[in-house]
Amino acid sequence: METKRIGLVLSNVPGYSETFFRNKIKGLQNKGFEVTLFVNECEPRQHAFLCDVVVAPNLNISALKKLLTLVSLILKACFVYPRKSYRLYSLDKKEGLPFKTIIKQILINQHLFTKELDWLHFGFGMLAVGRENIAQVVGAKMAVSFRGFDLYLSPLKHDNCYERLFKKDVKYHVLSQEMKTDVMHYNVPEQQIKVITPAIDTGFFNSTKKSSPSETIRFLTVARLHWKKGLEYTLEALWHLKQNGIKFHYTIIGEGSEFERLKFATDQMDITEEVTFMGKLPHDEVKKIMEQSDIYLQYSIQEGFCNAVLEAQAMGLLCVVSNAEGLSENVLHNKTGWVVPKRNILMLKDTIEDIIEMAEESKDHIRRTAMQRVRDEFHILQQQQDFVSFYTV
Amino acid sequence: MKDKKKIAIYSGSIPSTTFVERLILALSKNGCEVYLFGLQKGKIKYNSNISSFAYRNSKVHKAWYLMKYTFLLLCFKANDKRKLDTILKSNSQYTLLDKVKCYPVLWHKPDVFHVQWAKGAEYWSWVQQFNIKYILSLRGAHINYSPIADEELADSYRRCFPRVDRFHAVSRAIKIEAQKYGAEPSKIDVVYSGLTVSDFENKMSPKSSCLNIVSVGRSHWIKGYHYALDACKVLKDRDVQFTYTIVGAKGYLELLYQIKDLGLENHVVLLDALPMEEVKKMIQKANLLLLPSVMEGIANVVLEAMASKTLVLSTNCGGMEEVIEHKVNGFICPIRDKDKMANCLEEISRLSDSERELMVNRALDTIENQHTEFEMVDNMIDLYKNVLNEG
Repeated sequence: METKRIGLVLSNVPGYSETFFRNKIKGLQNKGFEVTLFVNECEPRQHAFLCDVVVAPNLNISALKKLLTLVSLILKACFVYPRKSYRLYSLDKKEGLPFKTIIKQILINQHLFTKELDWLHFGFGMLAVGRENIAQVVGAKMAVSFRGFDLYLSPLKHDNCYERLFKKDVKYHVLSQEMKTDVMHYNVPEQQIKVITPAIDTGFFNSTKKSSPSETIRFLTVARLHWKKGLEYTLEALWHLKQNGIKFHYTIIGEGSEFERLKFATDQMDITEEVTFMGKLPHDEVKKIMEQSDIYLQYSIQEGFCNAVLEAQAMGLLCVVSNAEGLSENVLHNKTGWVVPKRNILMLKDTIEDIIEMAEESKDHIRRTAMQRVRDEFHILQQQQDFVSFYTV
Repeated sequence: MKDKKKIAIYSGSIPSTTFVERLILALSKNGCEVYLFGLQKGKIKYNSNISSFAYRNSKVHKAWYLMKYTFLLLCFKANDKRKLDTILKSNSQYTLLDKVKCYPVLWHKPDVFHVQWAKGAEYWSWVQQFNIKYILSLRGAHINYSPIADEELADSYRRCFPRVDRFHAVSRAIKIEAQKYGAEPSKIDVVYSGLTVSDFENKMSPKSSCLNIVSVGRSHWIKGYHYALDACKVLKDRDVQFTYTIVGAKGYLELLYQIKDLGLENHVVLLDALPMEEVKKMIQKANLLLLPSVMEGIANVVLEAMASKTLVLSTNCGGMEEVIEHKVNGFICPIRDKDKMANCLEEISRLSDSERELMVNRALDTIENQHTEFEMVDNMIDLYKNVLNEG
């Protein structure tokens, strides 16, 4: 098979804990693909990454340095990449972009001209905005991944931001069938969209957990402290449980901008004793806490798919999730967990109470079914194979 | 006050928020000499009783400002300067900017230094070392929720509050909250915000078939707008005709998503922050002002709506029940409860004009009895007098 050259465009070099892109790159390399990572910024130590890293020109510098960089970029555009620059200029002009915008695009995207590629894959939808013609310019096919926030929230902030993108011949990767349907609403043909769900390391996240009835129910959520994770609604449902005399402890692993909001909510609802904010933790510590928990809650308002729910299922936790986007494909209602309509606190509370009342055998059955399904359908090797076929079929 | 006392009102920036500016102006009109310190953020013209010693946000101006006050202090108050420098050094607040902030206060030495926002409480406590009476206002976020999530801030309150000369609380509820951080109840005076009723066109807007609801406030979770939108969804499902405008929430992503998710695009509008006069007009035209907050001191916008004879539905957060009595001069619903909020909204949509008229008239009475500018200034001057007499 001829070696395929993939250019992956991200904002930053994926950190150690960002397993999705690391696994994807490793999987492609194992199958003989050559991967180049294009990023906006990169710390010196991150250059020793899994693959080649090409960094975008940095213009966030002092005026003099910026001037010198701009001169160098203009010279390169004229003498090193004249054809590509002119081609990008022509294509963008044809689409009616203002002169100033086109010149800016030629200069700031010059790093994407540096490699010969078969595929140029933008890791998030918003990274492709303004760069819709670059793949064509470098003679590569174009691919874009949508991961949730970029499909559902970015267009609310930036009106019609994907208008140009969705008219192009692009192959899309989405995380769930629901996302696929939503992309199709933008008149994107079905055959251009491929669902590749997230996957986890089932060798690491596994457990022999069985029901261990205890007086205090141990709830867990692993999530960024962001409004889209629906944690305030979750706390309210738990407040209702407390009113009904149910003893519980709720651990939230993660950090984020909404800490003040959530901390205040626990204080106002008088559940500070019952709730612990752990901050961000490494994988092995998350695993340890999962082993000590009974029920995993992911009552998100918006969610692409959610790796943490897969990990929790693999660890044998009973999972209660909302019906936000991909979550109802992640957990099958009444089979591998419970799916509750979002923003319905009382229904969430009732579902939790029903689970607490369930016979231990029934809980074990759900637990086992979920663990088996994650092992069968959401393991990394499967995901890596799916990406290979994404670029080859 | 017989001999004019110099009252410094410090909020950090000049001009300050509407209600602080209202206080400044009212004090100056009632025989107080008002000093203002801090960063000049915009243009404003004050009367002759108000002296502004603001610095502009440019290196040149700050340098000039620093040189001027350093020179004056060195020449005429060298001992005080030395003493302040020692304090600032020991508090690790001896940067050039700290000096730009503090030297003018030392030079002009007001009789009372009144800090409007509690987060700056510990920073300014040095003024007491120079026989300046130190007053702290207890308002909104700084007391109600910031110290709950920020242990360091809570600790600084615990160190500083027991030493403050006097507190001004905007509500009885916030007075209780401040006691958690060591504020002595006997040192806390509740002085409600006040306004001039004649500044508001108090004419009830006519009832229409569609309930015209408005909220006004910054884009922040404390305002509880997501609960209001959840309640709107309940109203929509019940076929209640309504429109809901949130002034100040344009581009608030959480709400934008929720509006789309709940299919409320034809019912809800998010607007940018508007000038005060336009806000007044919007409130005046609305059938209802909704305050869905999870916490407030006493929301000034509610007082303004009541003065405009616009009906108010507020959550029972913070000090709101000190102003609104349920079904007497407005409506109250529990915090974080979309169904009860929706029930109230539906009930309000069914009120006859005469029922509404009765309530908004009572609301106006509440403002005239409890929240006039006259009352506020009188009480603030009493507070200043008491603190000066104590010393």
